[in-house]
Amino acid sequence: MQLKQESNNLTSNRDHSDVIVCLKDVSVAYGKNIALYKINLDIEKGEFIGIVGPNGSGKTTLLKTVLGLIKPIQGNIRLFNQNIDGKIPREIKNKISYIPQFTPFDKNFPALVEDVVMMGRYNKIGMFRVPSKEDRERVKHALELVKMDNMAHRPIGHLSGGQQQKVMIAQALATSPSILLLDEPTSALDFKMTKNVMDILTQLNKTYGITIVTIHHNLRIIKEYTKRVIAINKTLVYDGSPNDSQFDEIIDEMYI
Amino acid sequence: MGSFLDFFYALANYSWMQRAFYTALIVGIVGGIIGVFILLKGMVFLGQAIAHTAFAGAALAILLGIEPLYIIIIFGVIAALGVGYVNEKKIMKEDIIIGVIFTFFMALAIIFITLNKQYSTDVNAILFGNILLVSKLNFVVLIITLGIVGVLILGLKKEYYLITFNSDIATVSGIPVKLLEYLLLILLALTIDVSLKAIGAILVFAMIVTPAAAAYQWTFKINKMLLLSSLIGVISSIGGLFLSYLLNLSSGATIVSLSTLIFLFSFIMSPKRIKTGFTTAECKFCRHVINGESYCLDEPECRALDIPHYHDDKGIIILKKDIKPLSTPTKHKHDKEEEK
Ligand SMILES: Nc1ncnc2c1ncn2[C@@H]1O[C@H](COP(=O)(O)OP(=O)(O)OP(=O)(O)O)[C@@H](O)[C@H]1O
Ligand SMILES: [Mg+2]
Repeated sequence: MQLKQESNNLTSNRDHSDVIVCLKDVSVAYGKNIALYKINLDIEKGEFIGIVGPNGSGKTTLLKTVLGLIKPIQGNIRLFNQNIDGKIPREIKNKISYIPQFTPFDKNFPALVEDVVMMGRYNKIGMFRVPSKEDRERVKHALELVKMDNMAHRPIGHLSGGQQQKVMIAQALATSPSILLLDEPTSALDFKMTKNVMDILTQLNKTYGITIVTIHHNLRIIKEYTKRVIAINKTLVYDGSPNDSQFDEIIDEMYI
Repeated sequence: MGSFLDFFYALANYSWMQRAFYTALIVGIVGGIIGVFILLKGMVFLGQAIAHTAFAGAALAILLGIEPLYIIIIFGVIAALGVGYVNEKKIMKEDIIIGVIFTFFMALAIIFITLNKQYSTDVNAILFGNILLVSKLNFVVLIITLGIVGVLILGLKKEYYLITFNSDIATVSGIPVKLLEYLLLILLALTIDVSLKAIGAILVFAMIVTPAAAAYQWTFKINKMLLLSSLIGVISSIGGLFLSYLLNLSSGATIVSLSTLIFLFSFIMSPKRIKTGFTTAECKFCRHVINGESYCLDEPECRALDIPHYHDDKGIIILKKDIKPLSTPTKHKHDKEEEK
């Protein structure tokens, strides 16, 4: 309870309609295995949130639940002030972007960097239609934002892990999302590239006001880049500032 | 044995040869197109299971003495839906489903054939196919069906491309992934079903996989791969028709052998495997080899020797300012490599 209040204090000066993701008592199970139990969570517009937790604690499950890829067995989900039960309406899907946990691409997969980014425009283009000039410009712009425009014509499988991850961010940007959910975007990257990617995310958050929710294992990065961190271990065990001493205690407990 | 001129004479004058020609053309094009997504989606084995189910349908039809085409289509579509359902619900692992379904339907087919007492020429025709004996009914159904399949796959190209790239991202961006996956299986079943008589149950699947696999060797662009795949499909089907007529060979086997030859050639010559086949250049400053495999990774802005420069897509070196290159470039390694 105490934790809850703390996060309320952090954000109390904001209007309620700024809450774009709201989970109430959400539980998720795979068969009989409970993966998440009674999660309560509010995410407001413009936040930069880190999610931490040990392996198998349900971080990926949490993101997938918000995205509608997994149905909760219990609880209520609201996205952009609209109750979601069952399918997420199209106009809401258009505001959400997702970068899944990193899996290296097949070296020979037939896609150039620009093709991968263009995939982010597909929902806007619609079925049986081809990309317009505007779509191509958006792709170019998205690649410029992550400083990958000079690699537009390279096969995606030929890039390094960090470059591929930046392309995935560009793909997500091409959808012009309000909120971007990332699952361990820097797990495959060295420290320098990790900072590079986090700087890009910070810039997107500050300049374009894109809400960022990102799963991380590196606590140092979390402390450096986020103002709010959520720790989960099947339940929500912490929600507040990463620079609070209480957070360190909980982390010590959780990772024993 | 027909002669060279006979072939063209027949093509100009006889409707059976014209039917064979157009059958080869459209099977080559559409098989090549759908094959690209089957290959990228990793559904090659599902297709093989569907082909054998269709054969069981044909054997049943022959036993009952009715037109095989309808039963083949019904069997094929049911198999597609069944395989898709078991696959979606993850009831079993994919390879187990395929192993079980595949062998069960082969067993059924053999039972139907042996019940039939005499091993009829009809069974032979379904197993090995003959493109010269495609009936009028079969021809009309084939043209219409494959026309629809081709238009749908090309129309939904973007969506299938994204699904093969990452189905979670596809779902999040609002594409009806499950529906389209079922549709792809059904279109695959239809393609196999209507081509069965022309190419034969044993070989029909090669018309879908081999051209796509050959095209895969050549390009990193999906549109080029689709174009190449259907081109290779057409070259092998029409070339195979011609050669089989000339040399009096089985048409299905000749077509498939030809496409396999093209595949082998592509595989050996593939620029994806041969490094030197690609744009190769060496950076004057960092001595980094820039080709299809190893770019100046992580550092598009290479700062070797403190000369800011970067490599563009084609490996051309672009200087940041007017700095003259050193006459003897020193070997330079990037940070990342040093760590290894
Ligand atoms: N598809 C699935 N079917 C059954 N159980 C699953 C499935 N996916 C995840 N689980 C289980 O749910 C729990 C949470 O998994 P999840 O992938 O959300 O963890 P995570 O926090 O993302 O872990 P990691 O840090 O390893 O990515 C785990 O115990 C896992 O075994
Ligand atoms: Mg995970």
